[in-house]
Amino acid sequence: MLFEVQGISKRFGRIQALADVGFHVRAGEVLGLIGPNGAGKSTLFECLGGTLPCDAGTLSAGGRLVDAKERRSLLFYVPDGIAPWPSQRVRWALDFTIGFLGGRENLREEVMEQLDLRPLLDQPVGALSKGQRKRVLLGIGLLTAQPALLIDEPFEGLDLRQARDMAGALRAHAARGRTLFLSIHQIGDAARLCDRFVLLSGGRVRGEGTVEELAAVAADRNASSPGSSLEEVFLALT
Amino acid sequence: MWLLEKECRELIVSRAWWVLLLAMGPLVGVGFISSVRTYAEVSGLNGTSAGVGEALSPLIGVWAPTFSACELAAVFLLPFVAIRVVAGDRQSGALKLELQQPMGPFVRIAAKAVALLAGWMVAMLIPLSAIFLWKSYGGSVHAPEMLTLMAGHVLNAGLTIGLAAAIASFAEHPATAAILTLSVTVGTWIVNFFGAIQGGWWERAAGYTPAAMVAEFQHGLLRMDTVLVSLALIAAGLGIGAVWLRLGAAVNRRVYESAGIAMVTACCIFGCSFARANWDTSEARSNSFSEADEHALRQIRAPLRIEVHLAAEDPRRLDLEHRALGKLRRILPKTEIRYAAATSIGLFEQTSAGYGEIWYELDGHRTMSRATTEEGTLEAIYSLAGIATPKESEDDVFRGHPLAVSANGAGAIFYGFWPGLVALGGFLIRRRFH
Repeated sequence: MLFEVQGISKRFGRIQALADVGFHVRAGEVLGLIGPNGAGKSTLFECLGGTLPCDAGTLSAGGRLVDAKERRSLLFYVPDGIAPWPSQRVRWALDFTIGFLGGRENLREEVMEQLDLRPLLDQPVGALSKGQRKRVLLGIGLLTAQPALLIDEPFEGLDLRQARDMAGALRAHAARGRTLFLSIHQIGDAARLCDRFVLLSGGRVRGEGTVEELAAVAADRNASSPGSSLEEVFLALT
Repeated sequence: MWLLEKECRELIVSRAWWVLLLAMGPLVGVGFISSVRTYAEVSGLNGTSAGVGEALSPLIGVWAPTFSACELAAVFLLPFVAIRVVAGDRQSGALKLELQQPMGPFVRIAAKAVALLAGWMVAMLIPLSAIFLWKSYGGSVHAPEMLTLMAGHVLNAGLTIGLAAAIASFAEHPATAAILTLSVTVGTWIVNFFGAIQGGWWERAAGYTPAAMVAEFQHGLLRMDTVLVSLALIAAGLGIGAVWLRLGAAVNRRVYESAGIAMVTACCIFGCSFARANWDTSEARSNSFSEADEHALRQIRAPLRIEVHLAAEDPRRLDLEHRALGKLRRILPKTEIRYAAATSIGLFEQTSAGYGEIWYELDGHRTMSRATTEEGTLEAIYSLAGIATPKESEDDVFRGHPLAVSANGAGAIFYGFWPGLVALGGFLIRRRFH
């Protein structure tokens, strides 16, 4: 196990965005965080990434608590819908990721190839389309050196072909031991890519495990088998 | 280094900074050209009768109005540049990525401040170019007073950067930050206004507002307490900015930390206000008595008490402060000055017995004078102390540097060359980045 999350809660005024959220993340796996809109997926990632304070909760690794400083060397979070350094060129953004964020220079060429970033290198980040920007963000995330990479909506804004290529790239990095934790609202995408799932709804974890394990949980709760597809399990548990 | 480079890149692509640079040329030009014309007229150009003394000090006659462009830019333009640099990362989402690098928040905000200060120094090249023009006309430049003046404008810019950094880091939107920053600036003007009317603590507080601070530096006066208070305020602004840039810290914690910084700063300011060291760097010694008078005054060991029966808005009180008491405080820091008046304007107190009297008390002896001039004040003090009035040396008198010339070429430089250079620079940068 790479790390364990326990009891994360977050409230925005009267709204309980996250309530006692807990799950495990195994080393080298591709873990999918799935849930309907408003389930608290992005809020959970923000809390884990240290860009939003949570009201309660801990993260532990190897049986001991991980503080905010150590967390930065354990995981890196790529938010959705941002356009960092909009006036700077993509080339510089990648250099900055390697130079300032401690990214891996040896992966630069490979990541550029996998995400087809070469044609974008001389364009300012702010001038990119939504899909192009997403590819750059994924490139930034893949270049970082932390063992776990959290990506919020990795396929948002990508067309079918790009999404497939992206899934292949993510798989390749996971195969080399990188742990990926992906927040995905398209169940089909999640089912194709992820090894295990954390199912979040209404700010609570409704289940954690493989599709089969989640199906068993759903069968227990509903006293009938929901079927073997992730969509059916998702509908049964949310 | 990566962070500093990034902040510098963000600054040079910021339109706000280019607008500041573009505006500086004409702003400096207006001040320089009109002040050189006035200076020339006072010096006898076109048959006008030549003035003498302080009127012909380049510091007061030329440099204070020329560099006042910096004051305007620091108040109305620099806040937008600073807000763009500080709040830009938050708006674009870059801050969420950068915060995941284990670097202290104070280092982050310091990098932004250094880049902004560097940007300000570039802007100051424009008024600095006026010095070369002035020298080419045959004008005199006294380096210490020029350095003091520039230090004042750098400190003033630092205050603006600190304030804008603090506000931009916690305001949700840059527009809100801009409004709040300008509101604080207007607030300092209100403090100045109250200081002029109410006197007392308001007056003391008004002495540390950016406008009052710059005015001192414009007169060549370098006061340790002013410098220290400014540095404390700049550090506080940057500190609060650093605290609020930590998006992952609980809001309550950030509020407590900000309150802590505010309290420590208040204590620092209180402590710094007792620093007495100061230097009159003006060539005209416009903040000092003559050397002979200063030598005589230094012989006084007993504490001097002065009670002034003049209202806060009475022009005679302003005269007394600027011509005598301000200078006296520098030589005899233990002097206790008390103002007594029943009203703020003094108009209806004129007939009251005792109004307008200035009482001097030294070693149990008292004397009264109504003079608000330097000579009258010194005469009263010498008579109390039993010191003979020192003879004024001819060398002590500042004769000024009359210069009856036109500001030839200044229009072309400030209205043409600088704006053209800035526009070209902006165009090239835009091509480089877009």
